[in-house]
Amino acid sequence: MGNRENFVLTYQIKKSSNMNRRSALLGLGAGAGAMAATGILPGSLGFAQAQSSAPIRIGFQKHATGIGAAYGRWYGAVTDAAVKRINDNGGINGRPVEVVVEDDATDPGRGAEVLEKFANQHEVDVAFGTLFSHVVIGSAPRAAELKLPYFVVSEGHHVASGNLNRYTLQPGITDVKSQVQSMAPFVGDNLGKKVTMIYPDFAFGHDHRDFFTAAIEAQGGEVVAKIAVPPTETTFTRYFPSIPRETEVIYHVMVGPAVLTFVKELGEFFGPSRPEIFGFIDSLEAVDIRSPGLEFLEGTYFWEGMPRHAQADQADYEKAYRAAVGVDERGASLEDPSDVSTYAHMFGCWETLNIIKAGMESAGYQGPQDRAKLIEAVEAMTDMPASEDHPQGDKIFNGKTHQAFGKQYISKVTDGNLVVEHTASIEDGLYEDEVDYTTQSF
Amino acid sequence: MYTSEMNRLKKTLSLSLCFFAFLSGPAFSHAAQQGFVLLLPTTAYITAGTLAVALTILLLLSFRGNQLRQLFRPRDTGIARSLISPSDWTSFLASLSLALLIFVGLFGPTDPQANLLPLVIWTFVWMALFVIQGVLFDIWAWVNPWVGIHRLLYPSGDSQLTLRSDLSIWPAVLLFAAFQSFVLADVAPNDPDRLAKITLGYSIFTLIGMSLFGREVWLRQVECFTVLFNIIGKMRLFRKDDSLRFGLPGWQALKVDDWDLSHAIFILIILAAGSFDGLHETFWWLGKVGVNPLEYPGRTAMFWTTLTGLFASIWLLICLFVGAIWVGLSVVSNGADPPTRKLKDVLVRFSMTLLPIAIGYHAAHYFVTFLVQIQVVVATLADPLATGWNLFGLGNSRVKVGFLSVPATVKLIWLTQASVVVISHILAVLLSHRIAEQICDRPRDVIRLQIGLSILMIAYTVFGLWLLASPRGV
Repeated sequence: MGNRENFVLTYQIKKSSNMNRRSALLGLGAGAGAMAATGILPGSLGFAQAQSSAPIRIGFQKHATGIGAAYGRWYGAVTDAAVKRINDNGGINGRPVEVVVEDDATDPGRGAEVLEKFANQHEVDVAFGTLFSHVVIGSAPRAAELKLPYFVVSEGHHVASGNLNRYTLQPGITDVKSQVQSMAPFVGDNLGKKVTMIYPDFAFGHDHRDFFTAAIEAQGGEVVAKIAVPPTETTFTRYFPSIPRETEVIYHVMVGPAVLTFVKELGEFFGPSRPEIFGFIDSLEAVDIRSPGLEFLEGTYFWEGMPRHAQADQADYEKAYRAAVGVDERGASLEDPSDVSTYAHMFGCWETLNIIKAGMESAGYQGPQDRAKLIEAVEAMTDMPASEDHPQGDKIFNGKTHQAFGKQYISKVTDGNLVVEHTASIEDGLYEDEVDYTTQSF
Repeated sequence: MYTSEMNRLKKTLSLSLCFFAFLSGPAFSHAAQQGFVLLLPTTAYITAGTLAVALTILLLLSFRGNQLRQLFRPRDTGIARSLISPSDWTSFLASLSLALLIFVGLFGPTDPQANLLPLVIWTFVWMALFVIQGVLFDIWAWVNPWVGIHRLLYPSGDSQLTLRSDLSIWPAVLLFAAFQSFVLADVAPNDPDRLAKITLGYSIFTLIGMSLFGREVWLRQVECFTVLFNIIGKMRLFRKDDSLRFGLPGWQALKVDDWDLSHAIFILIILAAGSFDGLHETFWWLGKVGVNPLEYPGRTAMFWTTLTGLFASIWLLICLFVGAIWVGLSVVSNGADPPTRKLKDVLVRFSMTLLPIAIGYHAAHYFVTFLVQIQVVVATLADPLATGWNLFGLGNSRVKVGFLSVPATVKLIWLTQASVVVISHILAVLLSHRIAEQICDRPRDVIRLQIGLSILMIAYTVFGLWLLASPRGV
């Protein structure tokens, strides 16, 4: 590898957060293209043999500003790493991948504008990326109008619920209904049957309440109290006396800046004798579990989309993924160990990009005229075994509901480490189809 | 990121992710940081800071005329003016830089975190330059980007038309209010393309205005950034006349005698907009306007609410300030002399006491954002066009935000911000006392004239510190 190529690739790794269409094209694409041209890459991996060597353009709708920006930063880093890997391995159909970044400002109105820019100004092949549900919901109708495949990484149930459209797919991350449902067998069998739920009093909390109540009842358990906390609350002590004495498990999904206060006050309320406690890592995503004030969480359980801390039996493909996205064994930035990643969610970007690649190759994708073929190719996908393409674990894709189903992890905080105690099977998270998008026309 | 019912979908944001609250627009915060701030004994800190300001006011009761005058007297450094004067070439370089930045905005990276235009405008100009200009030296005279190019195109700088001098800086007041609306309410003030077009449009407008009405007149009365930086510049430590002099911030403001109501309103807008910038992110404000801070709907949905809030804040602060001055005048006049007669003059004089508060709050408010974004600026300077360059080796630098997740650092940052707010209020109190001394003939009136203003300043200390301590949802 020549110095120039070496420099370009090194540069891309170092400056991953700055990926944009020029750096993608000139950095990765041109870099790898130059390697192919000089015969450094094996012929089968070079871009030169493709019918068209024009790059595949993927519009990345990024939460660069607004309330989702911390997620956007990590989604950006993972996207850069995934695209680099794809390009290093010869691109898609022999063509380099170019990412066009636009900031959606974590704003639904802006999100829809960004999709228009992707389609009309940047002429991308597909759009990809965003996390916050209101941005997905605000953007998806525009994707359908523009006939632009829109691959979201939002873990919302809005895709599988049938509320979106044929152009919107969520193949790289599971949805929350599935996540919550698959927790119930472990909670009921191991932690207790009588559950008190503490959740923020808005749609996010209500969905946890509804999905989990149904799921635990199916396990022979019951929710003995539902404590809804107003979203503007910053102190919680007054709610704890409402926890019934018979409670065996507390299920909490508090979010927002007051989470640390919530945990601290919960600890002060219970002292050493507490019921079992189960939560969603969303509450503490990107927060070091060893932060002062979180000591009370020792011995409690968390759902994790992907285990933040490297487990003793960490698979090679996950090890490779960690290295590629630049995080250490505790899920923190290799360069800045205080900077904990959004590890439970960001794998979705990596997997989605690999699915776009697989879909395009399966469809023989040449250009925007093949967008419908691409969607059909993705809809035809079923098993996605754990691998470097899918480091989070095995998945099944449901082409009718446009939603992936996968394994879920329950970790116990043990000596400040998140240790996987149970892996919920894909079957635990399956539910009846609520839509068949394949019946909708393009 | 999900909801289960369509009718809720429309309204729903999502998830949990709200654990991080970056601010839209130029500001930024980190929710882990916010979480640790909520665990700090901020009520005790707020009380201590407010007591410090109140005690300063009490202490001033024992001051005699000359003591404060001495305090605000500048010292001469002996450094000759010629050594430190800005020249045409620095401004021309700034013009060239702005042209390049607009080019980068239009044709460079689409990611605002990789594009130098928004990074330089928000991080360098709006955050750093503002504070340097308000505290240290007249950096704007060196980098005003419209002067260099205009001198080149139009060396004489003469006017074709006359701008009425009695308009004073009212045109700049309107433009500055419009700019603040853009900062706070626009859907995407960071979008490189959008910002480039607005910057280009404003530059053309400014150059045409300078050509038609005369360079100096336009800069003095209309160009709102030059007006802004001239006004906050009155708080600088340093000033060059025949030589470089320095003194306690405010010493230059005490010599100002040509300001009128438009200047006072401009200052009130700086402070009100800065305060509303902080306020509109708080759980308290979002609760008042019926928005769940954990599912902030985005700037598009909040446009009119934010705009209304901004102008309501400006109006409210004007009313509070006029009321505070009126109370003081009423007490002093004791019914003999109607307070309204002097109200305007006294209001203009006292308006400069709000400058340290405005600059201090600006510095405190953007401090965290600056610490992060300046790293992004440096990393992006290495490769302004994202072509793979690594200029000056800057591309090797890393953007690190982990320090916002370390409780000890978060505490240090918060206390730094709070100290800046408290010190700025103490300065304001000192300045207010000195101005009262200048206005009043009788020593006992000095305190009485400030009664309303002192209450306002103590209240504003509480408010400023409360803003820093409040949970934010934007």
